[in-house]
Amino acid sequence: MENALLVGLSRQMVLERQLDVVANNVANVNTNGFKADQQLFEEYLTSGAHEDNFQASDRRVSYVQDRGTYRDVSQGPIQSTGNPLDVAINGSGYLAVQTADGERYTRDGNLHLNNTGQLVTASGDAVLGTGGPIVFQPTDHDITISPDGTVTVVEGANRADSIRGKLRIVNFADPQAAQKQGNNLYAAAGGAVPQPDTKSTIQQGSIEKSNVNAVGEMSHMVEVTRTYQQIATMLQTQSDLRKTAIEKLADVPA
Amino acid sequence: MQALHTAATGMAAQELNVQVISNNIANLRTTGFKKQTAQFQDLIYEHVRRVGAQASDQGTVLPVGIDVGGGVKTVGTPRSMTQGTLSQTGNDLDLSITGEGFFKVLMPDGTFQYTRDGTFQMDNQGRIVTAQGNPVQPTITIPQNASGITVNAQGQVSVTLPGSTTSQIIGTIQLTRFINKAGLQPVGSNQYTDTPSSGQPQDGAANAEGYGSITQGSLEQANVDVVSEMSELIAAQRAYEMNAKVITAADQMMQSTTALFR
Repeated sequence: MENALLVGLSRQMVLERQLDVVANNVANVNTNGFKADQQLFEEYLTSGAHEDNFQASDRRVSYVQDRGTYRDVSQGPIQSTGNPLDVAINGSGYLAVQTADGERYTRDGNLHLNNTGQLVTASGDAVLGTGGPIVFQPTDHDITISPDGTVTVVEGANRADSIRGKLRIVNFADPQAAQKQGNNLYAAAGGAVPQPDTKSTIQQGSIEKSNVNAVGEMSHMVEVTRTYQQIATMLQTQSDLRKTAIEKLADVPA
Repeated sequence: MQALHTAATGMAAQELNVQVISNNIANLRTTGFKKQTAQFQDLIYEHVRRVGAQASDQGTVLPVGIDVGGGVKTVGTPRSMTQGTLSQTGNDLDLSITGEGFFKVLMPDGTFQYTRDGTFQMDNQGRIVTAQGNPVQPTITIPQNASGITVNAQGQVSVTLPGSTTSQIIGTIQLTRFINKAGLQPVGSNQYTDTPSSGQPQDGAANAEGYGSITQGSLEQANVDVVSEMSELIAAQRAYEMNAKVITAADQMMQSTTALFR
């Protein structure tokens, strides 16, 4: 009798967390370079409390558990902004960023300069080039970032371009090894070592938007709510069943 | 239920997004206005199960973890400092900058502010001033009865004095550059002040070292692209609605729980 309640409860707990994941995806529908999370479920079996008392078919009860969230790493739509410091990555690469906690990776190409002329992210973390942070001189103008990440400028009244560095683009052999850290940053998890990426290209003047599929998330959400309600109804039925059983069976005639 | 709060962060972010877009649209015809865009970042994640954790003593590792995010935050509303188009006005003291620089303006309290809006006038002393009456730096006084005011690309102001047939230079308008002009703080009236983020102001002559050249008789229009603002507005509104729907969904789930076991 208890099993149906507990199985239902396990499903409801999983559904609640699934709605949390959907809510996070929807909240980040306009976040640059955001990658949607999807959930994975697995069945897990437990034996009944009094294994020997049950029929063989009743022995194992399967519950549901969330096994993991995996990231949809597909390319987000590229929006043209015309801003020379906006870069979109075409491919699976990440920009390397130096944060206070160490090296992190990002797909958010909304870059800025800081007061020392360093190329930084929107949070002010230095964007790393192949030779360390990329720094511009006060007289630099007309910043150009080529598809391979080479940053060139026209310095002062010069006619020729000067190279200011090359963006360090990296990727992971296992795309799921990059763990989300918030602030549009990823960290290398589980000892994964990011490798230099030569396949990804940089598109200057555009930004990669969130790859959240809004319609998909909405239908997902409806599915979660409806399933949750179904289970609530099932639990109600179970409860009624038990109530009736107690009333009927314990009804000792006087 | 976390989803309620997550969706609330989404609604707050989109509300601010709409606010920024409406400010851009409101300033569609503001001289020298630079559009802003709201930039978002995801909030911190709860790593319920950590990816790459040991799954057995045989050295197998979890290929995926459970990462549940807490929503979204606005990280900033940076200004896009791209060049606006120039529109011809034919007015002698309407100046526009093509390039990086800003006009420097002396405020009544002795501080300097910077602007891309070159709608200048003359005050009662003949000084070149902004629409608010604050002198453009360095202060240039146009002599009485002078005619034929010309400002060349280098910012040199020349006039023809009565009784003379040749024009003479009476001053040079300087421009100011910042290493990070997106770090300037807007103070309204189309003006900005320098901040620790913008870096020190560097004064220099127009048309040199990327300071930008001055064009007389034209004004720089706002760099707002109304079509992209409109599509951004639609996207922001839909995102707001979707977040509201998530709140409804979370609410329904909680309702069906509380309806249990009456």
